[in-house]
Amino acid sequence: MNRTSPPVKALQYLALAAYILFLGFPLLWLVSASIKSSQELAALDMSLLPKQFHWDNYAVALQKQGLTRSAVNSLVVSLLSMVFVVLLSMPAAYALARFKGRLRAVGVGWILVSQVFPVILIIIPLFIILRDVRLVDTLLGLVLVYTTFTMPFALWMLQGFVAAIPTDLEEAAAIDGASRFQTLRRIVFPLLMPGIVATAMFAFVAAWNEFFFALVLIQSPENYTLPVALKMFVGGEGKVALGPLAAGAVLATIPSLVVFSILQRRLTGGLLAGSVKG
Amino acid sequence: MTITSTVAPSPTTQDRRPRRGRQDRSSQQRREAIALVFPSLVPIVIFSVLPLLQGVWYAFTDATLRRNDTADFVGIDNFTRLAGDSFFWSSFRIGLIWAVSVTLLQLVASLGLALLLNSDLRFRSLTRLLALIPWAMPPVVVAIMWTMIYTPNGGPLNAALGAVGLPSSINWLGDFNTALPAVIVVGVWIGMPQTTVTLLAGLQQIPAELSEAAAVDGASAWQRFRNVTLPSLRPIVVSITSLNFIWNFNSFGLVYVMTEGGPGGKTMLPMLFTYLEAFKNRNIGYAAAMGVVLVIVVVLILAGFLRTQFRKESA
Amino acid sequence: MGTRRLALAGAALAAVLLAACSQGSATNPDAGAGGTGAGGSVTLKFQSLQDQPAAVEAVKGIVDSWNSAHPETKVELIQAGWDGIYDKLVTQFNGNAAPDIIHYEAASIVPFARDGYLADLTSKVPAELKSDISDGIWKSVTVDNKVIAMPTELQTYVVFANKKLLEASGATVPTGDSMTLEQFRALAKATTKDGKFGLAWGLKSPTATFMSLALTSGGTFFSGTGKEAKINVGAGELAVPKLVKDMAYTDKSIDPVSLTQSGSQALASFYAGKAAMTVQGSFQAANIKKDAPAGLDWVELPPLSGSQGTAQAANPQTLSVNADSPNADKAAEFVAYFANAENMAKLNQADALIPASKKAQDLILSSTGGKDGWDMTMKSAQGLTGAPFLAVDAYTQWKDTIATPSFQKYLANQIDDAGLTQALTEGFTQVNR
Repeated sequence: MNRTSPPVKALQYLALAAYILFLGFPLLWLVSASIKSSQELAALDMSLLPKQFHWDNYAVALQKQGLTRSAVNSLVVSLLSMVFVVLLSMPAAYALARFKGRLRAVGVGWILVSQVFPVILIIIPLFIILRDVRLVDTLLGLVLVYTTFTMPFALWMLQGFVAAIPTDLEEAAAIDGASRFQTLRRIVFPLLMPGIVATAMFAFVAAWNEFFFALVLIQSPENYTLPVALKMFVGGEGKVALGPLAAGAVLATIPSLVVFSILQRRLTGGLLAGSVKG
Repeated sequence: MTITSTVAPSPTTQDRRPRRGRQDRSSQQRREAIALVFPSLVPIVIFSVLPLLQGVWYAFTDATLRRNDTADFVGIDNFTRLAGDSFFWSSFRIGLIWAVSVTLLQLVASLGLALLLNSDLRFRSLTRLLALIPWAMPPVVVAIMWTMIYTPNGGPLNAALGAVGLPSSINWLGDFNTALPAVIVVGVWIGMPQTTVTLLAGLQQIPAELSEAAAVDGASAWQRFRNVTLPSLRPIVVSITSLNFIWNFNSFGLVYVMTEGGPGGKTMLPMLFTYLEAFKNRNIGYAAAMGVVLVIVVVLILAGFLRTQFRKESA
Repeated sequence: MGTRRLALAGAALAAVLLAACSQGSATNPDAGAGGTGAGGSVTLKFQSLQDQPAAVEAVKGIVDSWNSAHPETKVELIQAGWDGIYDKLVTQFNGNAAPDIIHYEAASIVPFARDGYLADLTSKVPAELKSDISDGIWKSVTVDNKVIAMPTELQTYVVFANKKLLEASGATVPTGDSMTLEQFRALAKATTKDGKFGLAWGLKSPTATFMSLALTSGGTFFSGTGKEAKINVGAGELAVPKLVKDMAYTDKSIDPVSLTQSGSQALASFYAGKAAMTVQGSFQAANIKKDAPAGLDWVELPPLSGSQGTAQAANPQTLSVNADSPNADKAAEFVAYFANAENMAKLNQADALIPASKKAQDLILSSTGGKDGWDMTMKSAQGLTGAPFLAVDAYTQWKDTIATPSFQKYLANQIDDAGLTQALTEGFTQVNR
């Protein structure tokens, strides 16, 4: 788009910079807190740059038993949930968007209700079901729960993306004699790629950041996920080991940023452009 | 479920398949639909529908969390009691202000950001990554960091305001007037990556030709946005907005950690009441009635929203 | 970049992760209480919430020494976090998966006892320990005449002062066994000058502080227990909130910002020399020692006393035994061992908290020499007593939805005494239905 004039361009960069400042500042502040001594963190007039770099927080955070272990647990659980959510919801979302009728009514109704009904009211029945199939205190149980509870969102979003794809393409393929499955695989899924990536990112984050299910369902420290392990820096009576917590949190952002940077490369379209021309 | 038909895809996507025998086609369609949906149904029924039904059932019983509790059916007693619970209903007003403003601001801010990220600017991968920071920050520290940023004496926000000559002693989370707006900003911040990524993906799906063709016809950037981008994006905007609304209406954790509902109850969200009733008072039956009412209210609001959206689409 | 390759990669990833996942979870197939293993040996699960590194070590030490002395009754330490533990316990108890030995605090564990989940420890407490802990503290862990938890660690609200600022104002640093509320108010007024406030008091969540300090003036707020509890807000209940309001608006001796902040945030003003005194939980002495700027000469003042002396509400941390534990007797034995004076002195010193038993308090006094505020903290501990609010069913809901917002409005000068009294009492009638 070479039509954009230089002043407009400058404004765009300015707006982008403002966004990044707003979205990024808390992380900057977190990094700054992670290299301050507890004395400096307790003082008034906080500055972004510490008076003295205090790397001990990282040592303390890493020594805290199980932080690395819980990071590995979180990564395993999040990636698995992501894969499950995407694989299960792609076909179902297609069905939801393309087939009208009772299925769609039930599906949409359930999606809404399951998202609105307070988790607090279903946690005990859910716990008992999981206990009966011996999945309490297992990472697999957590994966299944995350998959189930992220799916309404994934279905809802993906059906929106499917709806945005013109049906003409599928019809053309059907006329050419392609089966429904072939149409899905060759035409719909490639076009859906940006939507799938967005959904995958969400499924990953939802599992990576989730605290309540992990807190309640996981019993043994060796199965703790990262949010549960990080929360242990927050003690009773509002006692927070702020420095080590910040250091642990900074370390915890790294894996998710890596996953994001891998996934967001695929967040590019341009595929549709080619196929419409034909 | 009247709302279901309202999210139907735009007219262009309606069925125009070559006609075969009608009977034959619909039964084949049903089989296909079942095959596509079945794998996702298994975990949903076991881990979501069953507990959900149990949860709804509580609402019609006097269930508590006592040891060896036997729940008795009490009809709609819980609901009649809830009708007179003025605290619960007054929190609804705050809940609605919170959910509507966060959702709208999220949409506007994220749409702007998504358009910027979608345009031909430099450092695209980097800026896209930076836009995801609120997602990457562990929720444990989000409330703590924002509380520090809002610190009235010596916090960075007031320091920055002071540096440019603005009032620098605002007690953001402690003042009765600023507490709710202050937490709304955090709510917008935390939900932006979600909305931005979704909208960006939607923008990527729009064929570039459409916009280019309009440009050739001499349409201005604004006209192209209004007449090409926005209509194509509508199903996605509707989906993400309705979900954001549900989540925002449902959330209380973040706000609770930052303000504990204070000052003076200014940030007391309805879901907090459900939590207190279910877990702290251990009256899970009465709490479930609250949950059912929340579901009904939210679904009604969404039905209204989705219906108007549908009208616009078919207009 | 075919979809097929992507799907294959996804499937492979899933397979690898599933393998990792089941490997990780194989270690602990059983949730909930421990059981009886081979050869009649017993494993007890002990869910501990210690958060300070030194206290974590202290608990580990106690468990290790028990395990080496009792090879037949092994205690397995499970470290959990404070944050969210209530929700975790609710699900554990209702899912019949709670550990054998449960660490928590009196105000929050009492509801579980009322619901029947905790074993009666009355006959399991050694006589020596029973008499060494004051009746007031026992009252805080007694439900329906049954002891349902062992009190282990306590705190009081105390006043810390900047010695230099006190002396510069011409006031003398109070000594003795107590300081009256009037003396405290005068001291704050005297030290308010040169742009400095006499007091920074973090009252963002004021209810716990007010409920506890009300006892100094005979304010009990509630009578009766469970659902039958009645609320009464009178002069005694209002004494401390009124004092704060008078200091903030008449004397202008309290930093008004601090009233909307947490205790730790209020400490920052104290560190910066902008406030001469601060009211804090006694455990903050350890943080002040660690975080205060080098030049700050601080001192802990005598416990506050009102018309009824230095009484404060005891809300101890506790150890309880799961009523459904198959080895409840063994678990109770461990709890008694855990609470012996040597163990309690070690643990409380690590946590900067106050042990329940007199003997353990004396051990700490002698090992610290009463320094770093310990002498005053131990004096304040003498006033600790059970408060009626612990036994009120709707207390938490009243606290979160009624009391805290009402106190906040009162402190922000939006409602007066009558308005506060009305809000507190009518609110309680509504939540306690």
